[in-house]
Amino acid sequence: MSLGGAAGGAPSAFDPKKLRIYGLVGSVVGIYLGAILNSALNTEVFSFIGAVAAIFAVVMGANAVRRVCAYGIGTGVPSIGMLALGMGIIAVMFGLSVAETLGFGMLGPIITLVYAGIFGYIIGVIANKVIKFNIPVMEEGNADLSMAGALAILGWSFAISGTLGYEDIVTDVLMTGYIAIIFIAGGLAILHPFNANLGPDEKQDRTLVNAIMVSGIAMITTGIAALLTQGLAAGLLQLIIGFAIWFYFFRMYYRLVKRDASAVVGTGLLPPTVQ
Amino acid sequence: MNFDAYTIVYILEILVGGLLVGIGVHFVPVGGAPAAMAQAAGIGTGTVQLAAGSGLTGLLAAGLMMSVTDNIWIILASGAVGAGIMIGSTMLTGSWIYAYAVGAPFASAKVNYDPITGFSQPPYVAPGTVGQGIPTICFVSGLIGGMMGGLGGAMIYYPLYLINGNAALSAMFAIGIFLVNAVIASWNIQGTIEGFHDPKFKKWPFAFRACAIASILLALASVLITGGA
Repeated sequence: MSLGGAAGGAPSAFDPKKLRIYGLVGSVVGIYLGAILNSALNTEVFSFIGAVAAIFAVVMGANAVRRVCAYGIGTGVPSIGMLALGMGIIAVMFGLSVAETLGFGMLGPIITLVYAGIFGYIIGVIANKVIKFNIPVMEEGNADLSMAGALAILGWSFAISGTLGYEDIVTDVLMTGYIAIIFIAGGLAILHPFNANLGPDEKQDRTLVNAIMVSGIAMITTGIAALLTQGLAAGLLQLIIGFAIWFYFFRMYYRLVKRDASAVVGTGLLPPTVQ
Repeated sequence: MNFDAYTIVYILEILVGGLLVGIGVHFVPVGGAPAAMAQAAGIGTGTVQLAAGSGLTGLLAAGLMMSVTDNIWIILASGAVGAGIMIGSTMLTGSWIYAYAVGAPFASAKVNYDPITGFSQPPYVAPGTVGQGIPTICFVSGLIGGMMGGLGGAMIYYPLYLINGNAALSAMFAIGIFLVNAVIASWNIQGTIEGFHDPKFKKWPFAFRACAIASILLALASVLITGGA
């Protein structure tokens, strides 16, 4: 199919540069939009925009995983997803804390993004120069992954806490332990799509639709957490939108699976045991 | 955050912790998917899962001990023992499955004689495989690796907690530093390793350098954060 684009050195239907721009702009604008609407209208119902913004970052991250892992890193795809989230969480805490210390709380996402990009790039350089991976896209792939992990964690943290204030996020997301849910759900959304779809017939659109689908599930979990931190209206809205995203993209994913499969057959029930 | 002599000590502690994690990963007998099918020696899962599992247990053990005392040596020992117990029980229960369910004799394909027990290995290695199960040398190596990981995790958590005074924040930050170092080290061994007797173990200086650079950057970021609420 011309629509899909195969892996392996990763020629693709969607250009990675465009996906990166969409991912960065979409998630940063989304997080700021949600934060400004929430504080201007003195409400918390717009927190769901943070979770929607995270989807842009996740798609960018899943595409970066796809590009790097198509070369084969030898340790399994999950390792790079955990690396993305590990770099991301440090960037988020650093960015929000430094912005708060400097007195410009709203600058948090930008500082986060800059630190994540630089740190990810350095990790990529280390991987290529010190560990001698020699994967051509390693530097930009790791920078993408680091930024995607950071923005996804930031988006979901905002969806749970409802503000971008460092102290609110520490109280609502870290002290309550919801950060662990974000960590694993976010890791799954970034690493699972390529892990599930990899192989000679991997297609970019199928992998990315899978990423959006898993982000929908992550949004449902942040919705449940938001029910407890922000109350019924904000939480329920996230739950419903998350379920709608998951349902729509699950159907789309199933359609793409049927498109790419040579045949879809039912196995029927297990046959009776023959002694 | 005001910089003084303690800040430098904190940075050094985080650096040493990150290095311990990075080197400790090289000791853990990671078999990956081949070991899950009993076609390679080691535990049948990936490096990051094993390192994270044992290291985070060590982190929890250290955090629990830290709520009781602030003696650094007891906290570090608690972290190391916690992680050692975790990786030890993983290897023990894994061994039961290899021995009694899969029915494979434990043998390493990397050495002719087990350096600890002195048993001959090649006759027991099935043709077409690179060893099966978790031989004694792998078990001992794994215990050392797990304890190093737990020690490293505790060594990262301790200064973080002193800096920001927030247990949840320090734990998440320590998990981040831990994962970055574990993944870099696992990239260095490229998938599978049997332990310190494996020829791949000689590659550890690369991971040492890589983890040192990454840990310094992470330590510089972590002394700047505040405890929030």
